[in-house]
Amino acid sequence: MKTEEFNVVLSGVGGQGTLLAAEVLGTAAIREGLNVRVSEIHGMAQRGGAVVSTVRTGEKVQAPTILEGQADVLIGFEPIETVRSLRFASEKTVVLMSNKRISPSELAAKKMAYPDMKDIVEKIHRFTRKLIIVETEKLAKEAGSTITENIVLLGALAATEKLPVKSESLKEAIRELVPPKHMDMNVKAFKLGYKYVKKTKAHV
Amino acid sequence: MPNLHVLLEDKPEKRVLLLGNEAIARGALEAGIGVVTTYPGTPASEIADSISEIAADAGLYMEYSVNEIVAVEVAAGAANCGVRALTAMKHVGLNVASDMVMTLAYAGVRGGYVIVTADDPECYSSQNEQDNRFYALLSNLPCLEPSNPQEAKDMTITAIEISENLELPVLLRTTTRVSHTRGPVTYGKLTAPKLKGKFIKDVKRLVMVPANSRPKHEVLLRAMEKAKEISEASMHNEVVRKSRSKELGIISSSSAYNYAAEAADLLGLDASILKLGMTHPLPEKMIGGYLKEHRKIIIVEELEPYLEVQIKAIAKDKAPDIDIYGKMDKRYFPKEGELSTRLVAKGLADITGKRLPIDFKKIEEKYDEACRNLPARPPILCAGCPHRASFYDIRKVVGDKAIFATDIGCYALGIASPLNVGDILICMGASIGTAQGISKATDENTFAIIGDSTFFHAGIPGLINAVYNNHKIVIVVLDNLTTAMTGHQPHPGTGVTGMHGASEKVLIEKVAEGCGVKFVSVVDPFKVREAETTLKEALQHPGPSVVVFRAPCALVAAREKRSKGIRIEAYNITDKCTNCMACIKLLGCPALAVENGKVNIDETLCTACGLCISVCPYKAIGGNS
Repeated sequence: MKTEEFNVVLSGVGGQGTLLAAEVLGTAAIREGLNVRVSEIHGMAQRGGAVVSTVRTGEKVQAPTILEGQADVLIGFEPIETVRSLRFASEKTVVLMSNKRISPSELAAKKMAYPDMKDIVEKIHRFTRKLIIVETEKLAKEAGSTITENIVLLGALAATEKLPVKSESLKEAIRELVPPKHMDMNVKAFKLGYKYVKKTKAHV
Repeated sequence: MPNLHVLLEDKPEKRVLLLGNEAIARGALEAGIGVVTTYPGTPASEIADSISEIAADAGLYMEYSVNEIVAVEVAAGAANCGVRALTAMKHVGLNVASDMVMTLAYAGVRGGYVIVTADDPECYSSQNEQDNRFYALLSNLPCLEPSNPQEAKDMTITAIEISENLELPVLLRTTTRVSHTRGPVTYGKLTAPKLKGKFIKDVKRLVMVPANSRPKHEVLLRAMEKAKEISEASMHNEVVRKSRSKELGIISSSSAYNYAAEAADLLGLDASILKLGMTHPLPEKMIGGYLKEHRKIIIVEELEPYLEVQIKAIAKDKAPDIDIYGKMDKRYFPKEGELSTRLVAKGLADITGKRLPIDFKKIEEKYDEACRNLPARPPILCAGCPHRASFYDIRKVVGDKAIFATDIGCYALGIASPLNVGDILICMGASIGTAQGISKATDENTFAIIGDSTFFHAGIPGLINAVYNNHKIVIVVLDNLTTAMTGHQPHPGTGVTGMHGASEKVLIEKVAEGCGVKFVSVVDPFKVREAETTLKEALQHPGPSVVVFRAPCALVAAREKRSKGIRIEAYNITDKCTNCMACIKLLGCPALAVENGKVNIDETLCTACGLCISVCPYKAIGGNS
């Protein structure tokens, strides 16, 4: 049993399914007998706003939130929100980022364009070179619906082989938590995310 | 957690991942609680919501009460018949319930009764960050503070035991980081809930007229002496980390304890930690002994120096020479906002002279540089939200010439541009009363903006006041047929109960008429022209007027469509679009974005509400077909 601390940050926009993804990770950890803490934000902050969840495993873990620079993995469900959570990243951090852009309404109001992807990548590289960009929307559509983007990212995460839990435990947790009628779609999304990262042969 | 029935499994020793609030619900089931009441509020909502999902199968009674004081009244009534009860609320809910709680402390209970108050340091979803441990001091009621989901479950059971032992309600105080943290919880045995009891008439005990209240005050104070003994012996008050040198001791509770434990490890401190789970009354002897064993004491707690004030008083008698560090004399830890391992580590480092092993300042500088000019993403009204339509209608009629007293709910998000509806917001129901004072003092067009659930919760006395004192205000009730912000709980207007049964629908327009309002109208906010006419008439009315904007919450409507297999056909921008940006400038809908200089509709967000069609001067928005 692995007992050292492992920290995952999930950063996205309210409604993107960050909470479910965090719960899947927490449930997989419980299945493997690990100590775990998951932090969530509910209520007003969820309404289309920036949301951050954290999942921490390890014997000595007590606080649900993590220290700056201490993320082992940062899952960015949206490029701008990935940058907003970089305080948790350092050179050891693997960043899995969706390329699905959700334009903050401030940009429309100020007639500003969404930041250039090159700039976003450059900002992330200042913290870590271990960046994998995942085409979540495309893969989720292929799986059956854009609502599976969160599961695509979990598949991608499993493929990095960084987690202290087995890929099989993640799949079981998904089966436990996803409504049965959406099961096939989500299993497919997980596989597509997994294959995508394996295929890109990203060295992380 | 899609299937809350896992909470009903009678499998002692089973280890499950639960949200702190779900763990409290499990604790209620293990304690055999028969009555659960609540008014929803973040971060407390999931306690009673979980119970609502399983109440029928668990064989207990659950209700969404109209507000927190009624929730306490209902539960206290049952508890005085010997039935075990629990009421859950957010911190500010206890302000509403406090009139009942303060004197219920005198009358007491027969069946165990837990009042859960969930505090919200950092105001994640609240209007203030008050520290409700002071209610324990104020009311003379015992208070327990869990630091994680396991303790949240265990202390719910302990609270019931203490309550029955002392015949007093017990406060269980969580914070956002306890209520909304998931962690492993090991189950105990379930206890079958007892639903029926007996009301034993006892006027001296239960009728709080002065002649009875005076002796009952003494009874309460005696019970709290007994509570001190319970606190001294409580397994929830213990030294959880040992030191070698006995030089330094840390005293902490609740979520602050988690940060203190990790920060002490991070700094490699040779410090013991006294973790307090029962924080009212404090175990004075135990603390006195702990103080004497150390040379330096650091108190780590979130928000107010609740422990520090009392521990310093204990030290004055028991260990006058000891140095105590916290947030009173010199502020080593902030009184505002939530703590973190980083903030606690910094405070501990400042006090002990240890070096922080992480250069936070460097990380922060690098981070600020990366985030420079990064667009903010505050929470906003959802695509298709009927409140957006209501606010657009109101703005169309009054332009900038109106003052808006707004209220607690999703519609508070109307303060954002371009709608800018909301000039004063204090607490539940306050919109209607404050609007009256503003109208009296300014003679301007004054609106009270209030949601359906909030109207039932605390709006009606203000409404009657407006009728009685003839205040000229327009009361806009935004009726989206649910308690949206806290997770779509039912309310008196929905015709559904917490037990998923049918009930009489209390109609807001009938309430207003019954209170004597002479101008009452119900409109669909998406019918812009009709809404305009109604609002103009309401503004002309010489006394108080009520306009009910009724349309279902967009999230609920979308969910219902999905479950019926109805596809939502998003609208799109046709080639008639001149890029005048009227839709973007007037509505601020998240489904409308500018891409490559052109307006675009995000098909995954658009709910086809059609408001943008009403706004577009060029009829350039259409269906996909």
